[in-house]
Amino acid sequence: MMLEELKELLKEAGTDAWEITDLKTLAYEFYFIRHRLDQNRIRDTRHVTLKVYRRFDGFLGSASAEVMPGSDREAMQKLIGELQERALLIRNPEYTLNPAVQHKDEETLPEIGTIARDFIEVMQDLPETETEDINSYEIFTTENTRRFITSAGTAVTMVYPSASLEVVVNARQDRQEIELYRMYTSGTCDREMLKKEISRTLQTGRDKLRAESTPELGTCDVVFSTDAALQIYEYFLNRVNVRMKYQGISDISIGDEVVPGMAGDRLSVSAARYLPNSSANRSYDSEGAPVRDLTLIRDGIAENFWGARQYACYLGLDNTFIPGNFTVSGGTRTEAQLRQGRYLEVVEFSDFQVSPFNGDMAGEIRLAYYHDGEKVRIVSGGSVSGSVRELAAYLCMSVNQVQYDRMLVPAVLRLSGVTVTGIAG
Amino acid sequence: MKAEFSEYLTQTAPAIRTMIARLQEHFDYVSVLATDSTGFRISISQKARDISSETMMTERGNVIRVYRDGLYSEYAFNEPDLAHPEAQAETIRQALEKQIELLRLTGTEVYETGKLADEPQELFVEMETGTMPEDADLDSLVKELTAVSDAAMKQGEHLIDCRLTAQSTHVCKMFLTPNRDLRQSYVYSEGTVMPMAMKDGRMEYAYAGVAERQGPEIFAGLRDKMQEAVRIAEELLTAERIEPGEYDVITTPEVSGLIAHEAFGHGVEMDMFVKNRALGKEYIDKRVGSDLVTMHEGALAAVNVASYAFDDEGTAAGDVIEIDHGILKTGVCDALSALRLGVQPTGNGKRENFEHKAYTRMTNTIFEPGNDSLDDMIASIDYGYLLAGMQSGMEDPKHWGIQCIIERGYEIRDGRLTGRVVTPIIMTGYVPDVLGNITMASRETEVFGTGGCGKGYKEWVKVSDGGPYLKTKARLG
Repeated sequence: MMLEELKELLKEAGTDAWEITDLKTLAYEFYFIRHRLDQNRIRDTRHVTLKVYRRFDGFLGSASAEVMPGSDREAMQKLIGELQERALLIRNPEYTLNPAVQHKDEETLPEIGTIARDFIEVMQDLPETETEDINSYEIFTTENTRRFITSAGTAVTMVYPSASLEVVVNARQDRQEIELYRMYTSGTCDREMLKKEISRTLQTGRDKLRAESTPELGTCDVVFSTDAALQIYEYFLNRVNVRMKYQGISDISIGDEVVPGMAGDRLSVSAARYLPNSSANRSYDSEGAPVRDLTLIRDGIAENFWGARQYACYLGLDNTFIPGNFTVSGGTRTEAQLRQGRYLEVVEFSDFQVSPFNGDMAGEIRLAYYHDGEKVRIVSGGSVSGSVRELAAYLCMSVNQVQYDRMLVPAVLRLSGVTVTGIAG
Repeated sequence: MKAEFSEYLTQTAPAIRTMIARLQEHFDYVSVLATDSTGFRISISQKARDISSETMMTERGNVIRVYRDGLYSEYAFNEPDLAHPEAQAETIRQALEKQIELLRLTGTEVYETGKLADEPQELFVEMETGTMPEDADLDSLVKELTAVSDAAMKQGEHLIDCRLTAQSTHVCKMFLTPNRDLRQSYVYSEGTVMPMAMKDGRMEYAYAGVAERQGPEIFAGLRDKMQEAVRIAEELLTAERIEPGEYDVITTPEVSGLIAHEAFGHGVEMDMFVKNRALGKEYIDKRVGSDLVTMHEGALAAVNVASYAFDDEGTAAGDVIEIDHGILKTGVCDALSALRLGVQPTGNGKRENFEHKAYTRMTNTIFEPGNDSLDDMIASIDYGYLLAGMQSGMEDPKHWGIQCIIERGYEIRDGRLTGRVVTPIIMTGYVPDVLGNITMASRETEVFGTGGCGKGYKEWVKVSDGGPYLKTKARLG
């Protein structure tokens, strides 16, 4: 009802172009301390966002705002007027918007209560012991209906579920107690995966109790076998992102190596329309461009750029889109082969980060296994650091893959020459 | 001028009161937080520009909190039916009953909590500000930001771009219960400048900003910040890697603030005490830092982006001394955690927005200054680093680890800055060691509010932090 009035007012105002995103969400949330319910919540919201475009003097300006709930005709008129004026302040070089498309998801989602119940039940059925158990968890399940309409005639309606589970695990021995933190995101509840993953985390907790201080290792091979590796792969994704390229942060072109001198495994990266139970399975992106399978990097060479329409146009590219899912492949070794010789396998970071701008990476080690070639030591403390841009030359990946929500990546990644700052001699 | 309270909230208050009355027939406690916060955000670079009305705190919506049989439940919505509030209250009640039925079906036990008090209280606060975001001259602001970006490109030999952002938010919140009516209105603004430089394939960037509980007039300060940031970005192009190890360090106020926030800010959020997730619980009245460490936390501890009159649960803002001359005295607490722990709430119950749960969250977290001069502090170091520029941090309240990613370090040898710069730096350590090794603190102090704070990896809220220059020992990599 509000949308029809808004469209009518936009027509009256004579805007050059406009886009409306109408997102309705219904969410069930449950917060637990141990296995007792701390709080239950429902979110029942609707957010309508309007973006207005103005063409002037060879520029295409735009301005956006949420059409605040409860806005009457007068308020919407005022908002459109403000956005029309503000768009004239934004002197972006002209570009074209996505051509018109029509699409409506026909699938029916599982009832939100059913998804929530699956999460609650999987958490009630974990192999906890006297010494390893669940401290607390938070369950979020959401049913999303997203409508995107434009002045060009686009009308896309997509319906999709999204969910996340935050889990804190404790392990204790004598008077010492430690915790591990995990966040899982997905479309709906994957009972088997969660049970397996959280059970493994309980085991990891046991190891952390026995950890000694990380030794001073200088430079060392580091094995990544958790979702921390996603940060590294995202650096490569940014190398073939149109905005990063247009802004000069990525200095590569189609046909170039994504980082210079790749002497190890040559990774391939693709956009994927669909991954099982991903929270990002969409037919169209947020700008109305169709999402499809597309190779972005093949054997270490940039093959296609991805990203927002505006920057793609500036680069002279057409047919780009913002993918929801990505896959990474190109590994040539088994996990066992990657776990040979001297290396540090970090299974828990405080917060592993890779700069999207220059590839600098760093993270404090909360739990790692140091393999000195003969023995394995469980270690904690200190940090790893280096530059992905430089270290990628010696990238080694496993053939087999693992999925973290919207990313399907090699299960194990090994980098050589990483600086490991220990806290013990 | 005074930041005028939202007309929209004033209009919706009677309908919300009706909903509260209706829900009170079924629940033992009912409250509503209603929000109407508006603003703008401008982003300017050499390559692209953007303007929108959304900032980190813009929102319009309501969250109802109800209590029965030891359980608190919430319902967040943003399409109030002002003509039929009773019917909407009934719809909400039925939705919550359906959700609670699911809990019965799964045999879920409740973490029983007492009932919140509802003593009569009225508060109406319209804080002083310069200009209002809604009155800002955006045309002039865009021109000024563009001019600053252009000036940066002239100043920096190797700059590939200089990105500026300016955002200003008029926050209006109303907290209603059967007996309470609290309303507040204030403005905060923040601006950043980020020059990016590239030389021989190496890319570096610097970051500086302004933030205050004031209006868009504060963006005038970005020009000065730009000059400093451009100099730093250029400097970083020739910076070296640090040799990992433990060093004597001096932290700039910005890095001191990061330490305050990550070290004991998160460590004494008392909802973590309820879950037994914070070691601090066992260290009340024990030493956790040197005598020079006194740390405040609270919306009244400073006037900055996180300074409000009451929190998102209707508790008045406070100023808590968490660490007093090295001794951990107390933490900060939201209302429900306070009930569970048998303590008083401190005004730290915050939500990312009306759609999110309230947790114990930080506001302004600040070390008190000392009596040393920066020159004396540098002179006291044989070999170490002056650490500057905050990039990110991560808390670890359970084990008291700390991770701070810092932009740069200036080498100190024989009591003097050598001119050698290293980047980036990851500082790690055991919190009581880092705080226990503080031996000097400067007289000058500063507060920074351009960042956001998450709880774990979500629930983003505005915070500020700061303090003086501090001398300590830290492990750098």
